[in-house]
Amino acid sequence: MSAPAPGRQRSLGASLLDQVLAETLDPAYAQAAATRAQRTPGDGVPPGGTGWFGRSRGQLLVALTLLVVGLLAAITYREAAAGAQGREVARQSLREDIGVESEVTDGLVTQLEQLTGEVTRAREQALAASAVGQRALDQLAEAELAAAISAVSGPGLRVTLGNAAPSADSDPVGGSQEVSGPGVVQDGDLQLVVNALWASGAEAISINGQRLAATTPIRQAGKAILVDSRPVTSPYEVSAIGDPDSLANRFVLTPEASTVAELTADYGVVFNYAEVDDLDLPAGTAAELEFAGPLDPAGAAAGPGTGLGASTGVGTDPDPTPDGG
Amino acid sequence: MIPIIGLAVGVVLGLLLAPSVPLGLQPYLPIAVVAALDAVFGGIRARFDGIFDAKVFVVSFVSNVVVAALIVFLGDQLGVGAQLSTAVVVVLGIRIFGNAAAIRRHLFRA
Repeated sequence: MSAPAPGRQRSLGASLLDQVLAETLDPAYAQAAATRAQRTPGDGVPPGGTGWFGRSRGQLLVALTLLVVGLLAAITYREAAAGAQGREVARQSLREDIGVESEVTDGLVTQLEQLTGEVTRAREQALAASAVGQRALDQLAEAELAAAISAVSGPGLRVTLGNAAPSADSDPVGGSQEVSGPGVVQDGDLQLVVNALWASGAEAISINGQRLAATTPIRQAGKAILVDSRPVTSPYEVSAIGDPDSLANRFVLTPEASTVAELTADYGVVFNYAEVDDLDLPAGTAAELEFAGPLDPAGAAAGPGTGLGASTGVGTDPDPTPDGG
Repeated sequence: MIPIIGLAVGVVLGLLLAPSVPLGLQPYLPIAVVAALDAVFGGIRARFDGIFDAKVFVVSFVSNVVVAALIVFLGDQLGVGAQLSTAVVVVLGIRIFGNAAAIRRHLFRA
């Protein structure tokens, strides 16, 4: 570091930096050495120690200080390591909690299916005996089909919607493989596709194995898309059962389909569809009616089937996602 | 020789005893370690320069650690703790580098 030329005003920042860079050693060492050099000829103090600091005493003090330094460094290291470990432990236990609770949920779902099956069997046994009961059973089956709470199969269309592939110049080291921004499929995109399929005459639709009933929501919660409150991930396979001759053609001509096709052109969202001869769609969950009851209980019992057209009630519903968006 | 033994004993003690540090002091530990490192490197360099002084070393160590912690504490109270920590680390880091370079020149004559 060259000293600033005399008479030339250095800026405060530059002189501060000069000082920091030039004075790496505490000036007190030089001062102490100078004092010692002055005293040494007369006092006979042994070199390496100042007046009241004897040589051995000084060494002991230095050793003590270094002991404190070592202690400090070790404690700090331990704290940092323990902190990292603690975070990992917390994360691990959270992960285990998720696993345990997921298992509980799965068990409950299985139990629900079992009990529903028992109820159905008991009902069939009770009703199959009489002709009236048999008729009621048929009507019930029709209604269940319309309400999407029984599994169905048939020909139809499979629409695939997926997040855009990660761009080639995305950072492979720091960046994650996750796509972000406009290339990610939103809940609205799925809703568009589903609505277009309903409008094209689809009779039953499922997304990644989640059957859509009349009030099944398609919603976004953070980064995840929830269908019927259960998360589904990209690629999203929308299976729709409908007239094999017209479903695909009518779907392609809907404005919603062209909107999604524009997403593909603009942002690289994966969007394609294929006609399938045989689709199997699982049963959906029934909407629980808490407050609504039949308008006329006697009439509903005497003349059933009037409001429960099996093929039209659901198929033409233009908006199955009232909670969407 | 004795100082090096002291350092080793300190490290071993710290790892074995694992004393718990009060939560309020934990943010100052890393800064204190950097300040201590600065004092230690200064001492080593002074020794190579032939002007080492035990009293200066001990006083510079204590004052370094206390002042560094105090600056960070003040910064925390004023809401600029992170920035002041950075300032302390930068200044002490430059000094450590400078002293390490001087030690290197003494050791390797290069």
